[in-house]
Amino acid sequence: MQKSTIQFLLINCFLAVFLISCGSVTKNYTSKKLDKTSYTVPYFADSKTDYVYKTNISVYGNELSGIFIAKKINDTTHRIVFTTEFGNKLMDFEISENEFKVNSIVSELDRKILINTLKEDFRLLLKKQYLIQEQFENETSDIYKSADGKRDNYIFISKNDQKLEKIVHSSKTKEKFTLLFNSENNIFAEKIQIIHQNIKLKIELNYFKSE
Amino acid sequence: MRTKIYLFLFLILCGFNVSAQEQKMTAAEISQFKEDVNVVAKKIKTLSTDFVQYKHLDFLSKDIETSGKMVFKEPALLQWQYKKPYNYSITFKNGKILINDEGKKSAVDIGDSKIFARINKLIVGSVSGNMFDDKEFTISYFKLKGQNLAKFIPKDVTLKKYIKQIELTFDKEEATVVQVKLLESSEDYTRIVLKNKVINAKIDDSVFTN
Repeated sequence: MQKSTIQFLLINCFLAVFLISCGSVTKNYTSKKLDKTSYTVPYFADSKTDYVYKTNISVYGNELSGIFIAKKINDTTHRIVFTTEFGNKLMDFEISENEFKVNSIVSELDRKILINTLKEDFRLLLKKQYLIQEQFENETSDIYKSADGKRDNYIFISKNDQKLEKIVHSSKTKEKFTLLFNSENNIFAEKIQIIHQNIKLKIELNYFKSE
Repeated sequence: MRTKIYLFLFLILCGFNVSAQEQKMTAAEISQFKEDVNVVAKKIKTLSTDFVQYKHLDFLSKDIETSGKMVFKEPALLQWQYKKPYNYSITFKNGKILINDEGKKSAVDIGDSKIFARINKLIVGSVSGNMFDDKEFTISYFKLKGQNLAKFIPKDVTLKKYIKQIELTFDKEEATVVQVKLLESSEDYTRIVLKNKVINAKIDDSVFTN
């Protein structure tokens, strides 16, 4: 009886280890010695710049478009506004590492689950600095792991030109959402995609120069 | 010393402000103005105009500028076509909103949406200038240099949530709208300047599609 319990436990342990290693986000990366302990994101960092993007949001098959505006209003905080092409304000947030304030939101979009999702997305999008605990690499990128509460962020820097290309927000076993960046000069991102892995939500931002 | 200079500048600016300020119309002027606008608006069968839209948000260093063309045909066909800096058109037609977003087409049925019907009526009204409806708005009238100004405050609570106030600026001579200003709050507004207006040119229905 006891023997079979031990066997059962052992099998379980093996299974657990197997599942964890299988699900691990870093399974395709090679571990590497740390070459830095922090990383500073160049995008959205300038308090003089109005970051204005044409935006397309696709959520469970529905399409929504408008204008996304971000502006750094002090050392820690960004103001974020989403309007229609006509200019009607749909959402207006203030966001920092630890604070989040809804200045206004139209009643049609005033849903807790939506606000919390966007809060997570935008907080990561605007996050300035990451503390690095581990480093990996794959063929094209150096990958830095930064703890984020119970989760982790993986920061992908291209080996080619040292540009920030991707940030993956992930639990211990599963990717939750991904930020993709296209940038000419590594100071400003012309195109940004926020892609969710667990819900059908994709946000695409394309920078436009006002006339 | 510096404070004094600032104070001086401030006073000068205030002075300019006062001289450019709007003056309230008298009752007689209001009825004349309304009549002028209504006479012109009644004659409008079609209207096309270029527009420049300035989105002002208090915290931005610069207004967001977009521009394009607007076409209207009686009784309720309306299209806004943004051409710069992106291609985006929105057409109001038979209770539907047709959208073309950089070639990506979609349609929304607004047949039952009272708020959209009202906004549509308001846009058409604001472009033609014919929206002096005392039941819907509290209206006040002002004179500017070479221009008239009408301010509309929605009475409907739902509408008021979206738009706090609408300001239409009219050319005094032509009695047509030259600027539409939609205020969301005292700090944030959308200002649309209309120019190169063409009235009653032939416009085919087929224009109003996505």
